[in-house]
Amino acid sequence: MKKSKIFMSLLLSMMLLLTACGSQTTKTPAKEEQTAKPAEKQTEKTEEPKKEEPKKEEPKKETQTGTAKVKIRFASWDDSESLTEQQKLVDQFNQSQDAIEVVMEAYGDNYDTKIAAGMGSKDAPDVMYMWNYPAYYKGLENLNPFIEKEGANYKNNFYETLWEYNSMNGEVYGIPVGYTTHVLYYNKDLFDKAGVAYPTDDWSWEDLKAAAKKVKEGNEGVAGFSFSRKPDPYDFEMYLWSNGAAYSNEKGELNGSINDEKSMAVFKMFQDMEKEGIAITTEGGGTNEVLGGKVAMYINGAWSIGRFNEAGLNYGMVKIPGFGKPSVSILSSSGLSMSKDSANKDAAWEFIKFWTGKEMNKARLSYELPVLKDVVAEEKVTADPGKKVFFDMLEQSAGYTPSFFKIENWSEISESLELAFEEMYNESSLRAPEEAINDIISMFP
Amino acid sequence: MNRKYTPYLFISPWVIGFLAFTMGPLLLSLGMSFFDWSITGTPEFIGAGNYIKMFTKDPQFYKSLAITIRFALIFVPLNMVVALILAMLITQPIKGVKIFRTIFYVPAVVSGVAISIIWGWLLDSNYGIINYLLSLLGIQGPKWLVDPKWAIFAIIFASAWGVGTMMLIFYTAIKSIPPSLYEAAALDGAGPIRQFFFITIPMITPTILFNLITSLIGALQQLTLVLLLTNGGPLRSTYFYGMYVYNNAFKHHKLGYASANAWIMFVVILLLTALVFRSSSAWVFYEAEKKGGKKA
Repeated sequence: MKKSKIFMSLLLSMMLLLTACGSQTTKTPAKEEQTAKPAEKQTEKTEEPKKEEPKKEEPKKETQTGTAKVKIRFASWDDSESLTEQQKLVDQFNQSQDAIEVVMEAYGDNYDTKIAAGMGSKDAPDVMYMWNYPAYYKGLENLNPFIEKEGANYKNNFYETLWEYNSMNGEVYGIPVGYTTHVLYYNKDLFDKAGVAYPTDDWSWEDLKAAAKKVKEGNEGVAGFSFSRKPDPYDFEMYLWSNGAAYSNEKGELNGSINDEKSMAVFKMFQDMEKEGIAITTEGGGTNEVLGGKVAMYINGAWSIGRFNEAGLNYGMVKIPGFGKPSVSILSSSGLSMSKDSANKDAAWEFIKFWTGKEMNKARLSYELPVLKDVVAEEKVTADPGKKVFFDMLEQSAGYTPSFFKIENWSEISESLELAFEEMYNESSLRAPEEAINDIISMFP
Repeated sequence: MNRKYTPYLFISPWVIGFLAFTMGPLLLSLGMSFFDWSITGTPEFIGAGNYIKMFTKDPQFYKSLAITIRFALIFVPLNMVVALILAMLITQPIKGVKIFRTIFYVPAVVSGVAISIIWGWLLDSNYGIINYLLSLLGIQGPKWLVDPKWAIFAIIFASAWGVGTMMLIFYTAIKSIPPSLYEAAALDGAGPIRQFFFITIPMITPTILFNLITSLIGALQQLTLVLLLTNGGPLRSTYFYGMYVYNNAFKHHKLGYASANAWIMFVVILLLTALVFRSSSAWVFYEAEKKGGKKA
């Protein structure tokens, strides 16, 4: 983040300008699990490699010789290690053919700011990673015509649920690259020490509560379960879904859905777990606490795996507990989108196809869950129990559309919801869920 | 080339930079504040709509403004007093004082991002060293970053980390006071406390004015720390004005509205600065200035 002592107004405008100049390299250390960026390795943030200092000369179409390559700008939100991997794959594309040259632009943690500014100044990259379609789809190219040209099998090879997360109003705006569902992680050592049986895929929340209590009793200074003090509203809707509720109805109206009996039961259950000492709340998502052996169970996406493995944590993963029926998970998915203002759409599509194709899905296997059915089959991905659970959750999570996609002013509602959640779950307030949710209803009638 | 233009050539790098990167964006944002602009769509002219909405329909505007002003009211005096005390300490003729001068100044060169991370660890309610030290004294430390009553103090402490710059400015001002004044005062029997209040303070009032204004502006624009240390929380207790503007712009994509927000802050800062300047004739002493023009 820029933090010069200049006027706020300047700050805003400077960002626009700096983006237009395209060589800003400052960044924020992201808070843990802050956004829905998928499968991003949570490695320590190091400085971006030098070579990513992008595109000093950036000719739109300098055809001095007539055979100059078409330049495609490709924006990535990854940083450090994953970025080096990505650059290798981009190089692979550039070597594979002679008409297009892809230049990667690494925006890191400033991704949203830079994409927003880029679209505002009509200078967005041709191809970009995307997850927040409601906010940006107006600046993106509708990809349906491109997909149709590829034939029916092209689309069917992707897991269906992923399309819902890469579309807006029925039109596809991004080709799936990766995803993660959420699962229940548990620390095997803490369970062993307390003599409690490991969680299973068919657990209900009652089972979780009972086990959490026992694990806590068997380990001094350890909490059985943890969740964020300030849960991300986007993620939290999955618990409502699991109980047959949602934030909003098909029209995106909150009243009657978010304050429904079944929704309220979920909000209450989490607060009760905290009040009864079954769970603690954590500042971030809880990964640090689990890693430190302070918490026996928590729910998160695939992001934790890298860090847990690195630290040698003895852990397991099962499906999220249900409310008497199979649970549902939110997807954090990433897609590859094309700018509406791109001057070279066909070339951009060529690269999108390459990046989301079979070969690349395989190349990313070590750090990204594949999204293509034939890759999953050929590589026997689901034979790995550590990966299978994510695909199992994916399967039972089809058919749910997050309110994120249905509500136009989601970013405002989300911010208010976040505050309401914090009021409910911050131990220094523990506000009654009815009151907190009623506030939301009155703010957004 | 005509010699008349040579000076302009010399200042041109600065002027061009100023026009392109300061004045231009400033004016652009003023223009933008009259538009409804969601970044991806086309800007739509809505006149004073953004300003009307801000004053009549947005409770967060007043809340953020109040939080920020409250922060400034606590932080600015505290920061100045601490800086002045430190400056007094490092002007004492003691051995090794240079080392302390460096030590006190070092935190000021650390970037805000690093400070946020350090303080995040120091203040952690479970594992933080501050609460650990308090527990050794038998005090149960507050949950700094969790309890809305305390979070603002966390920001204040972290901000005070940069006190070294101000200390150094005070230090040079104190150093430039002629020793003869102190000698004369000592001969007349004034002790160190009297000397401080009747010589040091009056002589450095121009510096106090300068520090007051710059730290007031800095406090009202605080963004880095709230963004990184508390992210506006807990329970929006540190949802400073800077964060409010930033989120309106880059989270809610209301660029026009955020520009309007920013301009209101600009006006607030302008008014406060003018007020301080206005008051300065009553308490700031300039040696070169001839009061009342008597001896002119």
